[in-house]
Amino acid sequence: MKYTPRQPESNVNVTPTSPLREFFLLTAGLLGVVIVIYILLGLAVNLVVPRISTDLENRIAGLFIRSIEAKDTASEREDYVQSLLEELQERCAQLPYLFKGHIRQASAVNAVALPGGHIVVYTGLLDKVASENELAFVLGHEMGHYAHRDHLRGMGRAFVFITISALLFGTDSNISKMLAQGLTITELSFSRKQETRADEFALETLNCDYGHVAGATDFFEKIPKEQDPGKFGHYFASHPESYKRISHLEDIIRSRGFKLAERTPLPENWRQSKN
Amino acid sequence: MNNLLFFLTLISIGFVLGTIAEKLHYRSIHEREKKFLHLPAVTVKTVHYPDEKVKSAELVCGSAVISIDYFKRFLASLRNIFGGTVKSYESLIDRARREALLRMKEMAGDATVIVNVRIETSTIGKKANKKGVGCLEAIAYGTAMILEK
Repeated sequence: MKYTPRQPESNVNVTPTSPLREFFLLTAGLLGVVIVIYILLGLAVNLVVPRISTDLENRIAGLFIRSIEAKDTASEREDYVQSLLEELQERCAQLPYLFKGHIRQASAVNAVALPGGHIVVYTGLLDKVASENELAFVLGHEMGHYAHRDHLRGMGRAFVFITISALLFGTDSNISKMLAQGLTITELSFSRKQETRADEFALETLNCDYGHVAGATDFFEKIPKEQDPGKFGHYFASHPESYKRISHLEDIIRSRGFKLAERTPLPENWRQSKN
Repeated sequence: MNNLLFFLTLISIGFVLGTIAEKLHYRSIHEREKKFLHLPAVTVKTVHYPDEKVKSAELVCGSAVISIDYFKRFLASLRNIFGGTVKSYESLIDRARREALLRMKEMAGDATVIVNVRIETSTIGKKANKKGVGCLEAIAYGTAMILEK
């Protein structure tokens, strides 16, 4: 046998391929997978939320509530909000939650319903309200979100993640804690329908507690025309929107024959107590 | 946004420079392989040749370290998700092995044949076996023999 050295014509160990083509193909594939998961999670929100017990909700709330409670400072206004919440719940809005009001220093005119009955009220809102009835309506509105469990839906896809993680790894695990920390809880999104339902709930609560509905629409009428409506949280999605909500409330007031009477004033030092 | 920009820059640097480096390397590999065609490197362990005609037999080795570039690594990590052949690493290993063989042949000088050739690979660098840009080392070794006709 004679040995003739020769160079191989082709390289069998390297696949002749365009790396750029592979790059784009794989990236597109990954993007597709992400989009499908995103859509599925969106659908899962509506599947998951009605099945969550209040107990599980409280446990999930425990994941991030500590960071919120840490910022709490005892104040007269907080006590006032808390007692108003308890009064509303005891007498009218009997929901399976232990409501807790948290006051947060911020110029935003907003209140947020967090899982587990924790309602965060910004000082910007407290400075704007002029009567107890008005504040009660706002709190009733948040309670309305609890009644329809919008507060869980509002957290959206992130909530599905946290629920799955809480069920799989428990609420003590680092994974659940990490997920909860990454959640931007102040950016809840509600649909118009959810807001309208919460408004209706608040109106019922107001009528039940005070025997009249004075002050119900006060808050919506307050939005200054020149001010950026973005600061006004979910109470004022846009100008025409808040007018629609006012007229919707007035329609209900007329058709249900709700009475109007004197508004209950806020405590005297309301605006001085800046916390 | 800045992170993404940084990432895209690394990827494009990896792609452009990596592709150029690979092309140049392959060209040099081809040329040197042609030059060393007369020196066979085989894996047989025993050579049936009269002892008195074996002038010398000694260990020769060559090793080469090739770095992974950012683009290749990203492509591979995408592959990790979907599975399949990691084509982007194939050329790296191929280059490292052939370069190692060539260096071994260079060390052999005027040998007639290199027998009992083995090739081994390993990853080196702080981040070897972990995520991150690592390096690949290939080492080829064998016994270079000078035989009298």
